Amino acid sequence: MPSQLPGVDRHAARRSSIRRARPLLGTRVEIVAAADFPAAELHDAVDAAFAAIERIERLMSYHDPESELSRLNREGAVRPQRMHRDTCAVVRAALEFASLSGGAFDPCVAPWLEEWGLLPRHGAARADHAASWRDVEILAESRVRFRRPLRLDLGGIAKGYAVDQAVRALQRSGVRNMLVNAGGDLRVVGDEAETIALRSPQAPGLVVHTIVLRDAALATSSACYSRRRVAGVEVSALLNPGSRTPYLAAGSVSVRAADCISADALTKVVLFADPQTAEQALKACRAQALVLQADSADCASHA
Amino acid sequence: MFTPSRIVFLPMAALAAAQPVQAMIYLSIEQAQELMFPGQTLVPAPLNLSADDIAVVEREAGTRYLAGALRAWKAADGYFFVDAVIGKHDLISYAVALTSDGKVRQVEILEYREAYGGEVRNAAWRRQFIGRAHGDPVQLGRDIRNISGATLSCQHVTDGIRRLLAVYAIAIARR
Repeated sequence: MPSQLPGVDRHAARRSSIRRARPLLGTRVEIVAAADFPAAELHDAVDAAFAAIERIERLMSYHDPESELSRLNREGAVRPQRMHRDTCAVVRAALEFASLSGGAFDPCVAPWLEEWGLLPRHGAARADHAASWRDVEILAESRVRFRRPLRLDLGGIAKGYAVDQAVRALQRSGVRNMLVNAGGDLRVVGDEAETIALRSPQAPGLVVHTIVLRDAALATSSACYSRRRVAGVEVSALLNPGSRTPYLAAGSVSVRAADCISADALTKVVLFADPQTAEQALKACRAQALVLQADSADCASHA
Repeated sequence: MFTPSRIVFLPMAALAAAQPVQAMIYLSIEQAQELMFPGQTLVPAPLNLSADDIAVVEREAGTRYLAGALRAWKAADGYFFVDAVIGKHDLISYAVALTSDGKVRQVEILEYREAYGGEVRNAAWRRQFIGRAHGDPVQLGRDIRNISGATLSCQHVTDGIRRLLAVYAIAIARR
């Protein structure tokens, strides 16, 4: 029976290429994969990659009260908590980027985002607004302890990790050429370069720049998409950990790095660290940043 | 020694060109059926909802029910649904595989279309972004397939799946 699946052609050479997408991580996650084996196997490989992303979402979702992250936020200040290998890897990386950036990247600013309605409250004990990444202590055997009641939020880094894990899953299946794009945080692996279009942060319907990417990751942050008024005050999902104020400029920051977890975290470092620290962090990760500067503060067109 | 900065600043108004994004077709309905229920012949399952049923669906799901967008098929070991949701700036059609007892087993996006119609077609509005200076030009007319830029939400797909499950409960599971 001839298969209906894309990439399957009985008469053609064995090279197959497919592009699929699922709604995951609160956005559209797209996987493009090409390999010299039958398309049905390629679909299985893509299924495994999506499954890896689903696993990470189940563990690290801030929105899901049943996630492992939500358990850490309920119990982490009460007693040490065991973490899944993936959660431990992301928490460890988050603390490394926090340290590297002098706190310009801080996974502990969620109490503000909860107050602004940008993150849900799951009825855990009151968080200490003064808590920071320095109050998160990783213990032996993948356990973690919070020195104060705090809210760990891996939203600024877990998406990049999920992209990297999808890439690993595809590679384990023998796929060599791939692109994984989780709502604009993406990674390209293989022989072929891909052209990536950058949206205008002020007008997401328009593309204002293109970047050619090969064997590298790219992530972008902009406040335009989350800006809103709460009790007469303008806020956004990007909070400056130093000043504890929302980032409201209309530009965007894109970072190119070897892996997507670094690219994802470094966008926040470039946004909030002083220029010298940002340069050093980029250098330490062999990454580069592209900042699109708006000539007005206006991003109301898609509010 | 001169060390080049790792941060490049580009004024947005100076970028050379801009073009609207984006439409993508991932799978046809037949391809999604084959992916989710391989080798099976699916049988259309009509969704006959009364006005009262629709009121219940809308109350349980918290979203409007639009007649016609949602279609269902019966498989040997579950159900196959196709639905479409319209967000403020996009239209997404998607397929859902349910197990025989109505649990979501798989979701695939079939088609994704962004529609920033008005503002993108408005020449005066576009002019502020276009052609003021040189830059790294966007090649107009070329297919844009990969985009970075801040995340657009897929929340209305989540809402659509909740509505779909409410329809399943009323139109299929209770009959």
